[in-house]
Amino acid sequence: MISETKQFPAAKYGMTIDVDRCNGCGACMVACAVENNVPPAHEGATDRKGLTWLRVYKVDNGLEYPDHRTAFVPVMCQHCNHDTPCVHVCPQQAVDLDPATGVVGEMPQRCLGCRYCMAACPYHARYFNWWDPAWPQGMEKTLNPDVTPRMRGVVEKCNFCHGRWHAAKQLAAASGEPSGQPVEYTPACAEACPTGAIRFGDLNNPASEPAQSAKKADSFRLLEKLGTETKVYYHSEREWVRQTAQAPRPPQAGKPAGKEIARG
Amino acid sequence: MRGPVQEAAAAVAAAVARLGANEHLAVLDLRPGRTASWTYRRAMASAKNGIYIAAGHPMADAAIDLSKPKTILSLAVPVLAGWGTPGNVIAQRAGFHLIQAEAVESRTAAMADQWLRIQPGSEEALGKGLLQALNGQSPSAAAEATGISEQQIAALWNQLKQNGPALVLGPADSPATAQLNQALGALGQTVVARSEAPVPLKWSNTAAAPVDLASIEDRSIRVLLIDESTPAESASGTYLPWSLLERKLVPDNPLVVTLGWTREGYGRHSQFVLPTGVYPEVADDIPPAVDSVAATFRMSVPLVHAPEGVVKPEEFIARAAGMEVAGTLRERAEAIHRAGRGTLFTYADGQSSAVKDMKVDDFWKALQAGGSWMDEAAPARPPAVAAAGQTAIPASVSANDLPLVAMFVDAPSSPLLSKIYQESNLHLGPGRVALNPDEARVLGVEDGGRAELETLAGRISVEVSIDPAVPSGAVLVASRAAVLDMCSAGSRAKVVRV
Repeated sequence: MISETKQFPAAKYGMTIDVDRCNGCGACMVACAVENNVPPAHEGATDRKGLTWLRVYKVDNGLEYPDHRTAFVPVMCQHCNHDTPCVHVCPQQAVDLDPATGVVGEMPQRCLGCRYCMAACPYHARYFNWWDPAWPQGMEKTLNPDVTPRMRGVVEKCNFCHGRWHAAKQLAAASGEPSGQPVEYTPACAEACPTGAIRFGDLNNPASEPAQSAKKADSFRLLEKLGTETKVYYHSEREWVRQTAQAPRPPQAGKPAGKEIARG
Repeated sequence: MRGPVQEAAAAVAAAVARLGANEHLAVLDLRPGRTASWTYRRAMASAKNGIYIAAGHPMADAAIDLSKPKTILSLAVPVLAGWGTPGNVIAQRAGFHLIQAEAVESRTAAMADQWLRIQPGSEEALGKGLLQALNGQSPSAAAEATGISEQQIAALWNQLKQNGPALVLGPADSPATAQLNQALGALGQTVVARSEAPVPLKWSNTAAAPVDLASIEDRSIRVLLIDESTPAESASGTYLPWSLLERKLVPDNPLVVTLGWTREGYGRHSQFVLPTGVYPEVADDIPPAVDSVAATFRMSVPLVHAPEGVVKPEEFIARAAGMEVAGTLRERAEAIHRAGRGTLFTYADGQSSAVKDMKVDDFWKALQAGGSWMDEAAPARPPAVAAAGQTAIPASVSANDLPLVAMFVDAPSSPLLSKIYQESNLHLGPGRVALNPDEARVLGVEDGGRAELETLAGRISVEVSIDPAVPSGAVLVASRAAVLDMCSAGSRAKVVRV
């Protein structure tokens, strides 16, 4: 007799980031690197060649004091749910959208380093390993055994802490929970955020905080006009912040976001 | 086998043996308020001519009750960016209107309800101007120094007075801040005294009182032991410039031993630098945050083994005074348990348990697992104000050829923090200064170029970042020991292209 496999509704993991709570401390960036075995900067690494799966951008409204305003916007892979650009362009099938979790995954073993995905990503959320990973002597003891370091020549990015998801799955299985059921876990950035600006959960679960926050009036997604239906939602009560999120690229320090919008 | 630790210990013993009648063996504690601090105090009480120097605030027992004020004027204090316990500050944030008076749009200024842009280094002047407004005088000098009008200063004072309870947060040793809080009725209400977590009676009965650096006679310290196991950059408020320490050392062959995680701090001036472990290699307790009204006791426990050869500062300094110590954290925990007060909060389950209902072994186990003990609330009383000692290089030296005013930001230090400065431009990295584009053009320095930062106390090589957020007439400096030895916030400086 063949037993019937029980089908569980798929999870759709997502995040809400309250920009009005982010003070730009960078704890999420560091926690992400520690959790995912992202090495410290190579001597030659710059803000163009570094590995920052999660990067906090400082943006402003482009106005002069006293009307000048600044905000901090954490940007990681937005886990596009529709027409995922990086998945489309990868010639190696090294990138996929997991239907069971909604997470856009990256398989470095398949990556040939062409960086098409980096060019295709509208969020600048993919990073190339220009150097072999290296840690200062002694620091290798703190590496996370659940995450494999990547080699030189491949692309990497945020995967909503895949290692933690696996650990949560194992814990659920050990507790006797049925296989395939969505599990609850917290990525490192959300755990480390001292102000509680980053929240994570299953968007398919109406009771989860991200699912509820995503419906708020002041919630928005980056570059919504692209129709990528990202799973990272932002929130800000400030109109200019919401406008900035629709600019063609994350504004950089010294370049007023307001003018970017005007050009766009 | 004789290694550097044994050599240092022998050198200390030999130097202590030839201490003159008016000479001292001193310990400088850069992170007072820990259990190790009590060991240092006991060691110095038992040693010949021992003194214990606690770096830090003249109101060391003061805590800020953020649940009380409705209006807070911050004179460049990073209230929303690492000043207090983040969770508590955010929880109380909706309850107060924050006015941030600061020359640069810091992370706190960006999130404040009101950012009052003042001239670089004029925080104390604004405080004095508010005092003049309080006394019905014209704050004309403050208006000139801060760049905001007399009317604005008077309006600011009225805002504080009418939207109370109000609080002024300023530099640690600011007399104006203390006087303003007195006038606003904040002392004893929002600025309150906090007692320490209980300690064994035998400790408190045999501990030396903390001594302020300024009260120590010049040229009187023969042996100086420095616990620099906490990164100086993350404790820039407590870093004492070397020139202030040096003048306290005897002129002939003083001995300085630094126990630190880096050679770049006081180690540059020491005969011996002994490496210490860092988090997560060592067990240590964590002093209460400034916004913690009640006494607390929390520990970090080692998650990995420390490398061979690292030294425990507590043991080394105790031995230098002829004491042997072990298990002091456990002794402290037992004393807290014996007192039977307060509750233990465990993060794993989010539960609070009364200490009196717990067994001592369970209490200790929970502390090691990350539990946090908090004392019972006590009636609010004003803190004792100690004399403010000189802990910074004089800032208001006028020098026409030093056109800039130095402003400081904490610099990241751990290798992985490269993510927030080298691999992104979120923070100013170590060894960097930031200049306004116009200023940089005049000086002929370029973004990413090398330059020298020069003050009256010396010069140091730096890398220049150009940032339009930095006001003209100022240079934003990433704090680190070598820079803090040369200047403090508000010092005159210049940047020279090399």
